Amino acid sequence: MQLARALSTRFLLGLLSLLFISFVTFLADEIQPGDAATVLAGEKASAETIARLRENLGLNRPWPIRYVEFVSKAVRGDFGTSYYGVKEPVGQLVGRNVTMTITIASSAILLASAIGIFLGTLAAVWQNKPPDQGILFISTFGVTLPNFVLAPILAYFFALQWDVLPLTWSVDRVAPDYYYLILPVVVLAMRPTALLTRLTRASMVETLRQEFIRTAIAKGVPPFRLYVKHALRNAILPVITAIGTSFGFLLTGSFVVETYFLLPGLGSTTIDAIRKGDVPVVQACVMLTGAIFIVLNLFVDLILPILDPRIRESQV
Amino acid sequence: MIKLKGKSPRKKRLGLIFGAGYLVLLLLFAIFGPMIRNAQLSDVAKKVDPDIRVYNAVLDPVSSSPFAPAGGAATLGTDELRRDIVARLAEGARVSLTVGLSVQLIALLVGVTVGVLGVLAPKWIRNPLMRFTDGMFAFPDILLAILIVSVVGLGMGPVIFALSVTAWPSIARLVASQVATLKDREYVVAAKAAGASNFYLVTRHILPQITGILLAYSMIDLAGTILAESTLSFLGIGVQEPQPSWGGMINGARLNMNSYPVLLIWPCAVLSLTIFALNFVGDGLRALSDPRDRSA
Repeated sequence: MQLARALSTRFLLGLLSLLFISFVTFLADEIQPGDAATVLAGEKASAETIARLRENLGLNRPWPIRYVEFVSKAVRGDFGTSYYGVKEPVGQLVGRNVTMTITIASSAILLASAIGIFLGTLAAVWQNKPPDQGILFISTFGVTLPNFVLAPILAYFFALQWDVLPLTWSVDRVAPDYYYLILPVVVLAMRPTALLTRLTRASMVETLRQEFIRTAIAKGVPPFRLYVKHALRNAILPVITAIGTSFGFLLTGSFVVETYFLLPGLGSTTIDAIRKGDVPVVQACVMLTGAIFIVLNLFVDLILPILDPRIRESQV
Repeated sequence: MIKLKGKSPRKKRLGLIFGAGYLVLLLLFAIFGPMIRNAQLSDVAKKVDPDIRVYNAVLDPVSSSPFAPAGGAATLGTDELRRDIVARLAEGARVSLTVGLSVQLIALLVGVTVGVLGVLAPKWIRNPLMRFTDGMFAFPDILLAILIVSVVGLGMGPVIFALSVTAWPSIARLVASQVATLKDREYVVAAKAAGASNFYLVTRHILPQITGILLAYSMIDLAGTILAESTLSFLGIGVQEPQPSWGGMINGARLNMNSYPVLLIWPCAVLSLTIFALNFVGDGLRALSDPRDRSA
């Protein structure tokens, strides 16, 4: 019962933060000069035309009413049309780009989980020995090195010097699509890989010190079985939480990678729209990104009690 | 005995010394670098480019290629617009340090106030305040910063504002947890019994205890702020050209990356070194301020 209450509190808090984000994004339109009317009317329009248009669009009503309308439309995925280009409906434009972000984020998290758990386990098994120290040293770099430093360095070697991978995404691609996504995914995966390695190591070290492990060694469990079946199964829970939150950060933090490799994704669309001042697109992107992050964190909270009976039985 | 901490106290002290040394050099570079550059420039160059402080155009305006080699008049060479790399790095250091230090200062002011209120204020202030802080803390920093920049606008001022908004919640949480444990210590309770006001307790008995931890934390957080500033500038929504910034320089280097990788290497190296140095200094300070760590 307590669990259900804790989860519903989280859900309400999530909704509250989404409302907060929606209010700030709504403010974006209020603060910046010009609105939908001035953009629709074009540059040469007279003051009267703009005023009439504003009245038709309902832009002269007080802001609380327009905010409620903004939210109710946003819930249905209607953010109006882009200010630029062919004035495409924003929902359609963002929907087209979100697939790319999900693709690279999921590939990156799979890669990071596989390498991170593997290296972390190895480091814990060889605790304080050279392999462990080596892995920890590299993972320190992985955590501190920024994406926009790693991306140009990898691009320089793999795309320019050795010419084995394409430099950026382009409309006329000559190789299969996944070929273009290797570098972005690797760059995106670096930080979560390092974090998961360190976390797996810490959790495994902790588990290996417990008594049931000593018992298992005493009764002669073979090493592989001991480390994987006995230790890793117990040590993996905090790692799973971290995979969930890292996935959230990847889905909402691919701005740099997408911008650098010119991938048509949610992040690059957001940045592009901010630079151009395309307010409806910015609003849609920010709302969607925030929603993804909040929903994913809720999901992590939900999945933990399912995986671990200890959490299920005690309170959260 | 099993060693839980990765580095020994001795290594940490060494990291602190080297990190602090690098940071002092960086600070001097940021303060005096642009000045020396300006003094070296000939009057001819100043005539070619009146906005010399920002552009730092190079001495030889007649050469056909804008890229001057390293070692000549420009120590590290020039970029595609004949701008001196050293001078731009120094200007970038100025930007990064200004943004970083202002943000940390604002975040400390807000964070300490909120953290103290979050423990000692009446319940109806305390609870919503800490819930709000937790909510802000859970949100990804860079996403929040981009959201704020999209509302406020581009440039150095908005960047400072956006990063301050993202930086204070973690400080507030740290202060709150420290104040919560310290307020029940005997010497605090004794002072309270002797009739000391809450304000006196906080400023005289509680805050002096946590300055060391706060300083160490700020150093590590400063690395995060400088990184975030560079990220925004790299994305083109932070500090705007012609104002040089490390992030902007890294982004600008991509055009000529193949033929002039130096343009890329220097800002990357300076930025990464700064991040590492700040982390070393933060770690070292934390070890110094924590007596358990010191005696280990």
